[in-house]
Amino acid sequence: MIGLKGTLNVIDNSGALLVECVNVLKNKVNNGWGSVGDEIVCVVKRARAISAAQQASATAVKVRRGDVRRAVIVRTAKAVRRPDGRLVKFDDNAAVLLNNKREMLGTRIGGVVSADLRMKGWGKIVSLAPKVV
Amino acid sequence: MKVEIDSFSGYRIYPSKGRLFVRGDSKIFRFATSKNESLFLQRKNPRKIAWTQVYRRMHKKGITEEVAKKRSRRTVKHQRGIVGADLASIIARRNQTAQARNEARQAAIAKAKSEKREKEKDKATNKPKAPRGPAGAPKISRQQMKGSKGGR
Repeated sequence: MIGLKGTLNVIDNSGALLVECVNVLKNKVNNGWGSVGDEIVCVVKRARAISAAQQASATAVKVRRGDVRRAVIVRTAKAVRRPDGRLVKFDDNAAVLLNNKREMLGTRIGGVVSADLRMKGWGKIVSLAPKVV
Repeated sequence: MKVEIDSFSGYRIYPSKGRLFVRGDSKIFRFATSKNESLFLQRKNPRKIAWTQVYRRMHKKGITEEVAKKRSRRTVKHQRGIVGADLASIIARRNQTAQARNEARQAAIAKAKSEKREKEKDKATNKPKAPRGPAGAPKISRQQMKGSKGGR
């Protein structure tokens, strides 16, 4: 249940650490909730420091603090129901940053992701993840 | 369909029951009921909660039917032949009666005696007569000794 002002950890190597949700894209209204596999618009609240050398490099996919990006939710602390009736919940909320074309910004994922992503069509993320539950 | 077990109490979790919790370190915990879940999150030790399987196993409750640790591990020794003597010859040797062994010994002694006598004869014909006299006497006596021992 991620909504406005909800914070998520970023688990890819795009450079951001913490993002804050600004809008949940599947809802036409502002007061909706996002769950695993939903796209959100978010603001980067904390990011990894980028050295000057890296700034000039070609692979400058690193995001900065204050950037507005899109992301997909991969873990929620609120339990999600599976088709067999099980409920799965994680310890924290996490997301993976995307660009406007639903492509990942980072290249690697560190941490476990929810298997519900596969059902919502994010197979690329699931395949990159080290562990899927 | 797989029936899981509860990570706290050891109860069985049937499909569509209970919850699955993934901790920050990616370790998975399954809970059958909110009671188990709540106690786990309060960081209670299941070993001290009297109704959990862990506690019951630790305090050996209700295990009288299955006697703990039946020791029936006796290794069976198999007779094996070795490089020098195959299994058949080992068994033959073992089953040889005392009489047979005695007879074999006698035969061996007689054989040795006859062989030695042959050797003496050869030596006598080859060597000159002088050393033969004194050499012959002790030799015969030794043979006699050997013979007496074997004859008994």
